[in-house]
Amino acid sequence: MPIIELEDVSKLYGFGDAATVALDEVSLHIEEGEFVAVMGPSGCGKSTLMNIIGLLDRPSYGTYMMNNRSVAKLRPPRAAKYRRDTIGFIFQNFNLLPRLTALENVALPLVYKGMTLGRRTRQASDMLARVGLQHREYYYPRQLSGGQTQCVAIARALVNNPKLIIADEPTGNLDSAGSRLVMELLSEIHKTGNTILFVTHNPELTRYATRVVYMHDGAIVRDEQTVIGDVAPTARRVMYTVPATTVEDDLAGVSALMNHLPDAEPAATMSLKEKTRKTGKARRSKRSRT
Amino acid sequence: MRSLTRGNLKTAIASVRGAKWRSLMTMMGIIIGIVSVVTVVSIGEGVKHQVEAQTNHLGKDLITIRPGQTVNRDKNGTISGVNLFAGYMTSGTLTDEDVRTIQKTKDVSKAVPLSIVAGKLVHDNRQYPGVVVVGTTPELPAVFHQKLAYGDFFTINDSNENGAIIGTKVAQDVFGQDVPLGQSFDFQGQSFVVRGIFDEFKNAPLSLEADFNNAIFIPYQVVQDMTSKKAQIYEVLAQSKPGASPNVVASRITDTIKASHGNQEDFTVLRAGETLSVTSNILNLLTRFIGGIAAISLLVGGIGIMNVMLVSVTERMHEIGIRKAVGASSRQIMNQFLVEATVLSVTGGIIGVIVSLLINVILLLFTPLHPIISWQVVALAAGVSLVVGIVFGTAPALKAARKDPIDALRNE
Repeated sequence: MPIIELEDVSKLYGFGDAATVALDEVSLHIEEGEFVAVMGPSGCGKSTLMNIIGLLDRPSYGTYMMNNRSVAKLRPPRAAKYRRDTIGFIFQNFNLLPRLTALENVALPLVYKGMTLGRRTRQASDMLARVGLQHREYYYPRQLSGGQTQCVAIARALVNNPKLIIADEPTGNLDSAGSRLVMELLSEIHKTGNTILFVTHNPELTRYATRVVYMHDGAIVRDEQTVIGDVAPTARRVMYTVPATTVEDDLAGVSALMNHLPDAEPAATMSLKEKTRKTGKARRSKRSRT
Repeated sequence: MRSLTRGNLKTAIASVRGAKWRSLMTMMGIIIGIVSVVTVVSIGEGVKHQVEAQTNHLGKDLITIRPGQTVNRDKNGTISGVNLFAGYMTSGTLTDEDVRTIQKTKDVSKAVPLSIVAGKLVHDNRQYPGVVVVGTTPELPAVFHQKLAYGDFFTINDSNENGAIIGTKVAQDVFGQDVPLGQSFDFQGQSFVVRGIFDEFKNAPLSLEADFNNAIFIPYQVVQDMTSKKAQIYEVLAQSKPGASPNVVASRITDTIKASHGNQEDFTVLRAGETLSVTSNILNLLTRFIGGIAAISLLVGGIGIMNVMLVSVTERMHEIGIRKAVGASSRQIMNQFLVEATVLSVTGGIIGVIVSLLINVILLLFTPLHPIISWQVVALAAGVSLVVGIVFGTAPALKAARKDPIDALRNE
């Protein structure tokens, strides 16, 4: 049963001539229990997609069904209830409240549920134990390492037992040890039956996913199933191609990832130099046409 | 819902305590407003209480006749205005003849003239310019319902002798002892012997009445002889007979004196308690005036709170975003900031009440005022600060609540 059904969802910012398209008629179905990695260059609309799925933002056009209920045009109080009860959000910069202890941070969603102090403390404490931070309950976020902080944030996302976990670059601000800690935790949560959606720039992390979605310029350009433990095929090609991006590509805002997507030039046989020149040119000419 | 409020309260208190100095400055307007309201109202209450005590002490049958028109009356005879200058500037429109007329008026049992005499008071080669010397007749204690602590008042038989009855303050200031019976002083070149000391007069503060504790009473007859019958009468106290209505007697007195003054009302007849009601009128005016200032102060204080809360909302936009992202509804965010503004203003109110209590103690110790802080005033202060918090906290709270979660999160 699909938990998320996006149908031709678009998101526009600004008005008239100044309008920019952040999402361009994206359709995406996610089944319950999937562990989906979303990859793509900066500014391709990953975060916008996450925000819309997480009900922090509303689509400009299109339909969004969650558990077979339309949630695209929810009124703010209803959206708040969904965010509280069915969605857990994990951010790149953790977004814990600095003046609250780890325990109070984890209990925050329960506060808005109207739970009594005793019950929510117990529940938050259990959740911290589950992410392995029971001994850090009364620490403030600044006293924790990056990995631990993100684990607290994960505990907060989990405390209401949401069906869907959305993580927008959860490892973006972490070192490799922290990333590992966080990803192991997420995959453990996945094993208990939660649906997880996460954004990453690191192809290595697609090992944890069951499905990888590639985005570019506000559209989904590739969607592939993978096996847990293996790097996704498309992502792997990026990983083992040196260099990942050139200066020219960076200036044009194009990630090397795109060079390896099926719709791009078949670059494998070309020499590195030729390839970058050619795709670079192709991109530029395409840009000038539009 | 209750746990929610409590959580908000805790957050709000933490946030107020987190920026102590800023919070105190924010509360200043409220504190000043509450202090002025509570202090003024409690002084007013205290004076009213004293006035009532004095009225009861003097009795309901006392009628005061004064030279000059000090009050304006409307058709029903109620005092509609006070003419302060007339009271102090005019004198001498009442004469011995008037005293006798009053005495003869129907249902008047006693009429006592009070005549303030100017002159040098000398005791032990020292002058005492502050002491008031009053010439009066033997019936004064009866009319005033005032007892003597020591000695006795002069009677009709010895009312041409140089005896004097003094107030408690004179005993202390001039003679330096509680019971200076038999001591003598010089006044207008004549020697007087102290033969009695009054109990303490309980004067209401701000009263138009002279302070009789600081007065020396000598026989009217002696004053007349001393000044060749030119002594000016400060006021005449008349007592209506038991059973007679003081109001009727007062208007009767008015009519008779008016007739003998050529139909000119150049005097004032005040019924029992009316001298004091004049005091109350002045006081009410003052209370209203300061109340107005306090209201402005509360308004400014409220705007201050609104200002700080608006800044706080902008500063904490990211926090608002996080709270909304984890499931806080707009209403819950609004409650949080509303509670915070209210905590600020109510804390200001509490500090204001504490400061007013201190001021009250100081007033009690160093002034003749006896301010009374009633629970009504404290409730008023609490209510007002609560209302100010809610009214001026609403705009910032709405601003916080209406913010889109995604916009709020982008603010860092």
